[in-house]
Amino acid sequence: MRKLVIIGTLGGLGVLGAAGCGSLRKDVNVPLPQYDNQLVVECYLEPGVVPRLTVTESVPYLDNGQAVAAKSQALTLSNGQVVQLPTDVAVKLTLPSGRVVPLQFLPGLDPTTGKYFTHIGTQPLAAQAGQTFALDVQDTRSRHVTGTATVPTFIPIDSVKYQFNNLTGDNKKAYFQTKWTDPGATTDYYRLMLHKGKPSNNSETDNDINDLQFNGKPYAQVTTYRFRPNDTVTATLYHVDSLYYSFRRSTREARNANGNPFAQPSTIRSTVQGGVGVFTVLVHDQKRVVLK
Amino acid sequence: MRLLRLVGFLLIGLGLLLAPRWSWAQTQHVLSGLVRGTDGTALPGATVAVPALGLGTATEADGHYALSLPEGAQKITVSFVGYTSQSFTLSLRRNQTHNVLLAPNASELGEVVVQGQQTLQQKLESTQMGVEHLSIREAKLLPALFGEVDILKTLQLKPGVQSGGEGSSGLFVRGGSADQNLVLLDNSVVYNPNHLFGLFSVFNSDAVQSVDLYKAGFPAQFGGRLSSVIDVKLREGNRQKYVTTAGIGLISSRLSFEGPLGRHSDGQPAKGSFIVSGRRTYFDIFTRALNRANANVEDYSPIPDYYFYDLNLKANYTLTERDQLFLTGYLGRDNFGFTSPNGFQAAFTWGNTLGALRWQHVFSPRLTANTQVGVTDYKYQLGNSIDQFSFSLGSTIRDYNARTDFDYLPEGGRHVIRFGASFTQHQFGVGRLQRSSQDNSVNFGADVAYPGQEAGIYGSDNIKVSDDLQAELGLRATGFRSESDHFGGLEPRASLRYSLGPKVSLKGSYALMYQYVHLVSNSGASLPTDIWYPSRQNVHPQRSQQVSTGVNFLLGGGKFLLTDEVYYKWAANQIDFRDGAQIFANPNLSQEFLFGRGWAYGNELYLEKKEGKTTGWIGYTLAWAWRNFPPQNGNPGINGGRDFHPTYDRRHNLNVVVIHQLNERINLTASFVYTSGAPTTLPQGRFALQDIYQGAIQPVPLYPDRNQYRLIPYHRLDLGLVWKLKPVRFGTERDLTFSIYNAYNRRNAYFIYFEQTRDKATDRVTGYRAQQVSLFPLIPSVTYNFKF
Repeated sequence: MRKLVIIGTLGGLGVLGAAGCGSLRKDVNVPLPQYDNQLVVECYLEPGVVPRLTVTESVPYLDNGQAVAAKSQALTLSNGQVVQLPTDVAVKLTLPSGRVVPLQFLPGLDPTTGKYFTHIGTQPLAAQAGQTFALDVQDTRSRHVTGTATVPTFIPIDSVKYQFNNLTGDNKKAYFQTKWTDPGATTDYYRLMLHKGKPSNNSETDNDINDLQFNGKPYAQVTTYRFRPNDTVTATLYHVDSLYYSFRRSTREARNANGNPFAQPSTIRSTVQGGVGVFTVLVHDQKRVVLK
Repeated sequence: MRLLRLVGFLLIGLGLLLAPRWSWAQTQHVLSGLVRGTDGTALPGATVAVPALGLGTATEADGHYALSLPEGAQKITVSFVGYTSQSFTLSLRRNQTHNVLLAPNASELGEVVVQGQQTLQQKLESTQMGVEHLSIREAKLLPALFGEVDILKTLQLKPGVQSGGEGSSGLFVRGGSADQNLVLLDNSVVYNPNHLFGLFSVFNSDAVQSVDLYKAGFPAQFGGRLSSVIDVKLREGNRQKYVTTAGIGLISSRLSFEGPLGRHSDGQPAKGSFIVSGRRTYFDIFTRALNRANANVEDYSPIPDYYFYDLNLKANYTLTERDQLFLTGYLGRDNFGFTSPNGFQAAFTWGNTLGALRWQHVFSPRLTANTQVGVTDYKYQLGNSIDQFSFSLGSTIRDYNARTDFDYLPEGGRHVIRFGASFTQHQFGVGRLQRSSQDNSVNFGADVAYPGQEAGIYGSDNIKVSDDLQAELGLRATGFRSESDHFGGLEPRASLRYSLGPKVSLKGSYALMYQYVHLVSNSGASLPTDIWYPSRQNVHPQRSQQVSTGVNFLLGGGKFLLTDEVYYKWAANQIDFRDGAQIFANPNLSQEFLFGRGWAYGNELYLEKKEGKTTGWIGYTLAWAWRNFPPQNGNPGINGGRDFHPTYDRRHNLNVVVIHQLNERINLTASFVYTSGAPTTLPQGRFALQDIYQGAIQPVPLYPDRNQYRLIPYHRLDLGLVWKLKPVRFGTERDLTFSIYNAYNRRNAYFIYFEQTRDKATDRVTGYRAQQVSLFPLIPSVTYNFKF
């Protein structure tokens, strides 16, 4: 809200003064310094699911796909966005048992999540809380990314609840409450997503939460009035580790800083070393309710 | 750097070596008293001079002066802006008191005539360097954004002072950050001197008398901040009659009422006076009307209510010939409010409150004491509620303070001694968070608060070593405690002036400063949600040292003063946040800090003209500011531990201010600003992040370096006209003030961001581009002021 208030007010003052004075926004040429592409890894392991990951490359911000590096190829997504895929990357996943499993370079589309992936394993994973996986990603251009991820414990959602306001017609809306209990012995981090219908595409709300204020106590996350009658709301609670929480916050802060003169740009706090990206194990609970 | 320190000390030492003849055997007596207008108002900054001896002084905030003079007949001249100067001859045989009443200028434009309060000759001869004095009269003449006269923004037109960005009233002095300014309102600290995220300062032009900005050579009575002292004095009320002053502007209106306290008659002012001033914006009146008009429009998002107001009070009363009381009060608030039709409510309020009572006692013409007690408070509160749930977040800092200051003029007249002590009891409400529900299903909170005690004693002596050499030497001892943590240090101060002739003087200064309270901000700008934090545990006091040297030339028969000052400042224990820090209601906030150092150096060239129909100044600054935060405790530091420029670093800064009195009724003004582009952080790379579920894949920016890019140079011309209208019935004085901000409609860069370009028909991404956003185009404004 703070950012909205600031931008809104300054914008309002600007608009007030700008009446009849033309646009206050214009294209500019920004000569950015030389940027060396890095390997970008995105890998979310889940118990019982065949491991998949995506390896791409970061590119100069204003690059429009003109300069694709040798041993990489440009992949145009359905929305027109171009992503640079290195084709010379070998990936190894080390299981908690110590066994090393190579993941094959087999680019495709996950039918369940609708996500692109570049590398895939062969067997669903078995994972217990506290076990640690390791990832090794290496190309033929001396770029080498490594990382480890520990399986978080399962935290159940205690309850979900909603409440409509007293208005009618289009203005009749409900807030939604998701409640769970935080364990007291540890510092815990969560990601709570609310979707309308089946989880896919854009979520309705997506919050990263730490237990700084409610360690060891029940906690309820409440939305604004935003859901309509007959909406099906799915609440998904991920219990995540501090590294993934930190990565999520840094990506959000970095995005927010692009276009907000009051924000201090944040560097990306990757969970991996040697490149950019995230390697983590997801454990979640889910509840679905139809709002009547 | 050590070399530069050495050079600084050598320059000071050189000044001492140049000290020539010691000749001061003549008997000296003290002439002291009060300078007031015929309406009884004290005239701070008035000049009391003996031109034949080249001696003089300026009156204090309460109009008090004291001057040590040789025995015998002396011709004394007293002058003040807008008032008729007065000369008289006194035969000094002993210490003597002489009060002076000055009559306002006969000219109806008396209020806006500009002439030097502190003459250029006095400035040439003063030991003090790196100081700027501004009267509200000057500020009122200059063009202003939205017509809102702002004395802090006028200070930005002085060399060595940078603004925080377009329209901002933030001050960054000689490479220091905004929280390193000690902002004083009648000797009480103002923790947040801004309204509306820095677009306006908290100082109402109707209530303010003047401001002094110290950039170097800080007098020993000031302490607690590293980079500057901004000493704002409020105006005293009229002791003869009741006067109402008002102004109607584009975004706010002002109203002041002043008058005598106690019995008074023509030619006999009352023993006291008061002034009450208020100001309020009216954005919210327009936005509420707009919201009502669009209430039935589908998808219309109501605009939040916003307004700010401030109230000032100043009163004074003469108890006896030797005792006088002064009362100062300030209350200011910014308010945002939002209520959505479906029941969601949010509010955001912040502001300062302060009150102070000062007692002045004149023990003798040689010894005066000022003792003040006060309280100052800054807080913000942010909250929202929905149905039975509520959330609030806030932070406060509250000080209870007491100080006493003595001015002593020993026999012989070679010394002016100042000494005193101060004590502040701080209460830091670093973070208070509460989330609750009526059914108690949600109820938790945090309250992180720390105490702090800060104390200081000081002494200084302004010594007239010879006719050519004058020195001010001071020492301040300070200490700070927060629970079991103690800090302290000695702060030596020194200023020297050596005259190379009647029209040339050399100056040098050195100052060491400690800062025990820190403003922690994780944004690139000063926001109301920034938090004041005490020195405690691993958070050590900030410390800075500055050496400065300069030369002054009086040119054009005394009409112009040319000053060239060079400075080097270095600061330790600078504070910033690690990336991703959690600052709100965090009981372990200090673990989120990073510690580093800063240094700045530059050259300020300043030519000013203070008398005549055309006055003004030209200032040019060539400067560098640096910061370094090395890797620490497993954190890579800032910018990978490499040196970087803070956002307020500007290589070149040129200011030209011209005020021309066209005739008795019309003043024309112009100000031009040019600065190098501000450093800013832009992403160099990006990557695509799919996240857990496939959706719209957003580019994530990669920022490898801090402030590696500079925006385009900033320049702007403002024009103004003050038109004094003919008085109407009952002697009402009126004027119209016209301003044109950004007269040639320059599109200065406020910030740059990157965005995707898309095909309008298919919405497919076609590429990326950079967009530059400007904040204020040409903005005309008019303000109507009247007084009766």
